[in-house]
Formats: sequence, C-alpha cells, structure tokens
Amino acid sequence: MRLTFVGFAWRNVWRRRLRTALTLCGIGMGIGAFVALVGFSRSFEHAWLEMYQNSGTDLAVVQKTFLNTSVDQSAGAVLAGIPQIRIAAPMIINMMAVTPEINTLVYGWKADTFEFAALNILQGRRFRDGQQEAMLGELLASSLNKKVGDKIDLQGSEFTVVGIFRSGSALETGAIILPIDEMQNLSSMTGKVTAFHVQLKPAPPGVTAAQWKQEAEDAVEKDLPGLRAVPAAERASNNQLVVLAHAAAWGTSLIALLVAALGIANTMAMSVFERTKEIGVLRAMGWSRHRVMFLILMEAAALGAAGGATGMLLGWAALHVLATLPQTASIVSTALPLMTFLDGLLMAVLVGVLAGAVPAWRGARLSPVEALRHE
Amino acid sequence: MSSPSAVATSPWILEVRDVKKSYENGTIEALRGVSLGIAAGDFLAITGASGSGKSTLLHLLGGLDTPTEGTVLFRGQRIGKSSGSGNGGVASIDLDTYRASSAGFIFQSFHLLPSLNALENVQVPMLGTGSHPRDREDRARALLVELGLEPRLHQYPTQLSAGERQRVAIARALVNEPKVLLADEPTGNLDSVNSAKILEILAQIQARHGTTLIMVTHDLSIAATAHRHVAMRDGRICN
Repeated sequence: MRLTFVGFAWRNVWRRRLRTALTLCGIGMGIGAFVALVGFSRSFEHAWLEMYQNSGTDLAVVQKTFLNTSVDQSAGAVLAGIPQIRIAAPMIINMMAVTPEINTLVYGWKADTFEFAALNILQGRRFRDGQQEAMLGELLASSLNKKVGDKIDLQGSEFTVVGIFRSGSALETGAIILPIDEMQNLSSMTGKVTAFHVQLKPAPPGVTAAQWKQEAEDAVEKDLPGLRAVPAAERASNNQLVVLAHAAAWGTSLIALLVAALGIANTMAMSVFERTKEIGVLRAMGWSRHRVMFLILMEAAALGAAGGATGMLLGWAALHVLATLPQTASIVSTALPLMTFLDGLLMAVLVGVLAGAVPAWRGARLSPVEALRHE
Repeated sequence: MSSPSAVATSPWILEVRDVKKSYENGTIEALRGVSLGIAAGDFLAITGASGSGKSTLLHLLGGLDTPTEGTVLFRGQRIGKSSGSGNGGVASIDLDTYRASSAGFIFQSFHLLPSLNALENVQVPMLGTGSHPRDREDRARALLVELGLEPRLHQYPTQLSAGERQRVAIARALVNEPKVLLADEPTGNLDSVNSAKILEILAQIQARHGTTLIMVTHDLSIAATAHRHVAMRDGRICN
C-alpha cells in the first residue's frame, strides 16, 4: 500500500492500540453525551415546532418576562377584539407525575380549541369543559396500560380517560390533555393561563403574510402591555423549557468534551514523549518543524474524528434507549437532526486539534540532536 | 569572510571555519576551533575517542545543529541562518532545507520507524513534500532493489536482520538524492560480514554517484578505507 501523510499519521495513532482504544472510549463518551444531550434538546425544540405547525398556530401570546409565565385569562377578550386575530385559544402547560417513575407533560385546553385539529382520536371522544375527563397520547396510554373508561390520578384528583389520541409531535403523543378549567385547579392557576395560541385571519389583498403577522404582533403589544406575541417558530425555540434544555445540554456536553480533550492531550503528550527519538529522525531527514507539528496535529485530529464517530453511535443509541423508557419517552424523539451529527464530528475534530496543539508544539520545537539522544 | 563571488570558486562542497561548539552555558566545550574543507565526491573518515567531538562535528556538517561560533558552509552558503544573503555578504541556506535536499543521515542504531515496513520507511523523507505517492513508492522500491532488498520490501524492521535494517536506512538516506551522506558509526551494530557489506555499499554509492561521504568511526581499519582521515582529540583536529 502506498504511504500517504494521512496514512502515516493514522499508523502512529494505531500503534498503541489499547491506549488509543481507551482514548477513543473517552472521546466517544464526550461526543456521545453531546450528541445525546444536544440532539435531545434540538429534537425537543423540533417537536415544539411540529406541534405548532400541525395545529396551525401562527402566534403565541405570552408574558414578556422569562420566569413569570402566566397570563390573565381575561386577555382573551382583548385578543378577540384585535382585527387580525381569528381565534385566540388559552392553554396551560405543566409537568406532572402520573406514577412515581413517570413524569409527563400535561396540557390544559378548551374543548373547542382549534388545536384538536392536529390530533387523531384513536379511541373514545374529546373531553368536555368543566368535567374531570382526560385524553391520553397513545404512547403514554401504552406505557400506563390505560384505555378509555380507566381512571388516572393527577395530583390527588381522579380523572376518567375519555379519549386516546395520536399526534405527529413527540410532545403530545406522550402527554395528557385536560379541560383548561380543571388544569387551572390542579395548577393553582385560577384565572390564569400559560399562553394564548393564536390563529390569524387571512391577510387582506395587498398585504403580505409577514406584514399581517407583524401588524398582529404590534396590536397585541399595544393593547396588552406586558405581553408579547411571538411567531410560532420563534416560540418553539425560545420557550422556557427549550431554553433550559439547550442550556443544560450544552453545559453538560462542554464538560464532557473538556474531559475528552484532556484525554486526547494526555495521549498525544505520551505519544510525543515516547517518540522523541523518532521525531529527531524525522527532523534529521529534513522534516521541518511545521511538518512535524502538522503530523502530530493530524494524529490528534484523527483521534478526535474516530472518537467522534464512536460518540455519535453511542449518542444515537442513548437516544433510542431514552425514547423507550417510560420515564422519558414523552419528551424524547429519536429523530436526530443531521446538524447535530455534523456539529458532533466538527466538535470532535476541533477538540482533537486543540488538545493536540501543545504536544504538537512541544514535539516540533525539539532540537534534532537532543531528540536523537533521547532514551 | 568570503564574498558570494569568492564563494562560488571555493573548492569545497563543505567547509567549517574556526567552529566552536559548547553546551550548558559554555561549561562543556565539544569543539574548540575546528577548520576543515571537504571536496565534492570525497570520502572522509572522522575518528577519535568517545567525547573527542567527532559526532558533534558530524552534526554540524549535517545541519542537525549550529555552531556556537564560526561558520559551516555548504557550496559557499552558510548553513543555519535564515535564507537570503543578509549574513555579511554570505548567502545562506536554512537547516531544514539543507537536510531535506542536500544531506542524508545513516545512524548506528538504524532508527527505522517500527510501524512501517521497509518500503514505507524509505518513503518517509518524501512525505509532505508534494510528491506523488506513486513516484515516492517507485523511487523507494528502486533504491531497495538496488541494495538487494527486493524480497524484503514488505517486511517490518523487527523482521529484518541488522544488516538488512542498515541497508534500508541507507536507502532512506539516499532517497532525496543528497549531495552529502553522513554516517555515524554505520557498522557499529553489525557483525564483520555485514560491516564489510555495508562499507562496500557506501563505497559504491560514493564512487558511482559522486556523493560526498563523511563517516564517523572509532575503527581505524574502517577509517583506512577512506580517501581522507581526520583524527580528533579534545574538540580539535589532531592530524
């Protein structure tokens, strides 16, 4: 086989198989954590977007503040008076324990909300407002082994399962939907809602959809100071749950990547030390400092790339495991965005190059004579 | 100091002028004022006891190191300063360029890379130079065949005898067609049969290609086969 520069770098990496394999495991864990966590948070965001798109929501009207998220339900009457708005549906979202092991998203909707259009009722019927009735996503119903007519306990209140539904969004298929007034009681939010999901009227002739939407947003902010109208796509990416999921995912991933980087740095430092005499030979043969540095950086990058590939498999497997666990199935989607894979690979190579920089610099600045004398 | 025009007429391919080399802030003086001229195509043996400075002189001649004082010239160009002619009128060549294009090294311990087979080891000096992989392989193969290693092309260093390893190392030193071949005790780890064979190969290369051969050895019988013999003692030439 013809010897290439890349092939030479990879041979050097693979010479110490056990050490390389252990380093790959370390990098794999780091990149795996990145792929699983960031992949989870991105698929979580994607699920929100799907939910809005499927229901035909154009805008979400929410509090301007990040932590105080409740809106007076009376704002619904004001919204109904804004000319661009066709319908404003109040909704509540919360997370509740349905068994000691399983937490799930619980939505409060009006029985006549347009959002039901996105759901396919597989068994039973829609609930009625003011009744202790619940609808279960099919994934959750399967996990809990519930069917229409069964009872379910939520925060000490008993609800009758009146419908099982299917949804295109992972956030709904593993969730519970209750009448909004019952949800307000359960969440101690009497007279309050989390948001209004808004459908706009068609834009009149001569007005673009974007202009129409902007007019609606401006009208909401003018008529309801303290509230803001957010396009559905934006709401999908900046609602509190998604923002926190992103932050937690990136924070944890960066720590894992730092550990992986230290693993590569240690391996490369050991490798350079062990091969000091060889580096001297390369320099004696006319290899410049830059060429030696490039070789070591390429070895580190190869280690990063191989670890990245390992990590992607681990992360993908982890997501699939999480998606089957009843505790997490309702909020985990296995649909991993391609961008996460590309980011993971890029991150792995970058971590490799950064971690290899100091060993590469040390290797390159070795004097040929000193390196050849090294024992 | 010679001007570039004077240098062009220099009879020496390599020249050292009053070279001193010291280590550890001057406390160890390896070379104490050495001057020497080596003609193109010459075969020079450098002998001396351990610590006499012969290997240090070889390292300076091969561009592995730079002198503390004095100059080393290759074809009239000063070795070891930045390229150009800003060195008191003497053109210069940087160490990496000199080693890559004009010098080839042979070591006592061969220093082959254990993860590469014979054919690949010979290609290493050419890696990263922009040459085509096929050309690199062809060149390495031709040299190994010339040195009688055709059946051993794909053997790894641990699968080769000491004599074969040194022949691979010679092929590696020759692969960039150096003008100067520097050998540091090339037979030091070989038995008498293999030593004789390696010396014969080196002599053939020197005679056939006109390569300048500089060999460090402690064996006076080997030194006797050279065209010239320089003996060193305490960092100085003593003959």
